[in-house]
Amino acid sequence: MASTNSTDPIPARRSISPQDGDDWASIAARELRGTPAEEAVNLLQSWNLHVFMRPAADSAGQGNPILPSDIIFVEPPPAERP
Amino acid sequence: MLDLIIRNGLVVDGTGLPAYRADVAVAGGRIRRIGQVNEPAHREINAEGLAVAPGFIDPHTHFDAQILWDAHAKPALAHGVTTIVPGNCSLSLAPLKAKHRNKLVGMFNQIEEMPLKAFEVGVQWNWESFEDYLARLAEDLAINVAPLVGHSLLRLWVMDDAATQRSATDAEVGAMQALLRRCLEAGAVGLSTSFVDVDERLRPVPSRFADFRELDALASVLSEFGRMLQVVPEFYDTDLNIARVDQLAELSLKHGIPTTFSPLFVSSDQRIDAERVMARVGEQFARGARVWPQVQTRPIDISFSFAVPSLLFIRLPSWYRVMRFGSHEEIVAAFRNPDSRRQMVAEAASMPDLWPGLRLRQAQSEANRPLVGKTLAEIAELRQSTPVESMIDLSLEEDLDAHFLSADMAHNDDARVGGLLAHPQVHVGASDGGAHILSFSTYGDTGYLFSRFVRETGALSLEGAVKKITSDTASIWGLGDRGLLQSGCAADIAIFDPTAIDRGEEYAARDVPGDGSRYVRDAKGIDTVIVGGEVAWSAADGYTDARRGALLPGAAS
Repeated sequence: MASTNSTDPIPARRSISPQDGDDWASIAARELRGTPAEEAVNLLQSWNLHVFMRPAADSAGQGNPILPSDIIFVEPPPAERP
Repeated sequence: MLDLIIRNGLVVDGTGLPAYRADVAVAGGRIRRIGQVNEPAHREINAEGLAVAPGFIDPHTHFDAQILWDAHAKPALAHGVTTIVPGNCSLSLAPLKAKHRNKLVGMFNQIEEMPLKAFEVGVQWNWESFEDYLARLAEDLAINVAPLVGHSLLRLWVMDDAATQRSATDAEVGAMQALLRRCLEAGAVGLSTSFVDVDERLRPVPSRFADFRELDALASVLSEFGRMLQVVPEFYDTDLNIARVDQLAELSLKHGIPTTFSPLFVSSDQRIDAERVMARVGEQFARGARVWPQVQTRPIDISFSFAVPSLLFIRLPSWYRVMRFGSHEEIVAAFRNPDSRRQMVAEAASMPDLWPGLRLRQAQSEANRPLVGKTLAEIAELRQSTPVESMIDLSLEEDLDAHFLSADMAHNDDARVGGLLAHPQVHVGASDGGAHILSFSTYGDTGYLFSRFVRETGALSLEGAVKKITSDTASIWGLGDRGLLQSGCAADIAIFDPTAIDRGEEYAARDVPGDGSRYVRDAKGIDTVIVGGEVAWSAADGYTDARRGALLPGAAS
């Protein structure tokens, strides 16, 4: 799915659905262009604790905790926005 | 000759319009006339002083297994519920290959807290296809059933073990579409999926391995039939919930289908900002989408003992691991071992507000019975201990048969909950009927709607409350001739005293196959419940032998 529809009446917190094979690094490279890679991954993880801090058993395994159905936020929560 | 006349009742017809006094005539399973009826009938019911309303519809249940050993879905029917929707949260009992049965039972046990023994003793598995499952259900039904198909089952059927490992290929998505189409043709009311649940090994359920492309493809099949998509969102987080609202709106608009998500809770600590979610729902309705939040009427109460796993502890891994996977002896050992006990007590400190208010609900020993009804804070004071230590000690003293109650945990702000229930874009539901049977009673939410939010707080009128759980639900789910008292509609009728309808006290009933127990609540103020034109339950005679339950919406023509 593409990013949240820009015609929505008020902006929602921008999010994406993972693409096949996505991990933190690939999402960071695609969605946070211009941000250094390591920092971008750290930011993404901090905005997505529901995925990053999920118990190990509650994940896809194989080192990648991101599930195909997950919502991944690509901006901070409203309270943290500048 | 009519079959039945209900005389002199206050007709609350489900439209939300003002109630009026009239007779209701029934013949051939349908309402024939409403007004003054002079024809004779085989049976008459005097409804003087009582409300006569369409039977209530419960859109979020897990009666999938119970309905196989209990044609009435007790005690839901006695509460006035004449139609139930099982198959929510990505789990149904079909379509299901024999080799996946244990996996499914494990998921029901983990997610819906239904005992394994009940499945072993109560379910005779003699179907695989959805068509055969419906045929089995149709053999003995006293209540109407509108079954959803579980997304996790579609994945298991098509992908086997890969269902819990990866996204589906295009060919697999196509196979799931074909399978869903067959289920809808046979009479499924829609598809359910889950974004939060875990299986018996605490790994994500199959539906969580589906990418949006797969969900979109399945929604396109729902659109062929105009059927419902039900989801369990990340209900514990406002931003995630809103993101799911947007996702559902996209599917609803693209495919022209209704969608619903459940539950939407009111949280006192604002971790879930229900009003912000509702604002988003309103914006999506304004765009033309149908995204119905389901809101339950009752506050959240949870009972538990350490003899069976309780979802109350799922955020406390050292507790939940041993409860879920440990034997009785291993749980006792974990409580006795100083190291593991220390770790558990330390972990429990992350939920400091929970423990002091827990009440000892049940104890077997003479020594502890005087403590029943006291809070853990009170017991801790008596014992010069802490609430958590007292809970562990009591459990050891009772050989794990000490039962505790966490009452009014959340969703208990009457003003906010009442406001939501009355909201035109809220769908009253999420009872979870038939599930969590050792954690809380999932019966009586409709009675509670009237007692708390009509009579006590006045959040809804009598007519408004009836509309919410009858014609609104039927319209949202496309259940054509249900939910209204009008000539020609199916004669599903609840007759009740509007000044007395309520839920009774919660108690443990020992009526689960395999000698199991469950928490239930009896109905109060219900006089008679009619399904398909025949009395299925009455206060005077209890459950009857009538078997007029139907499968809804029925096979696609």
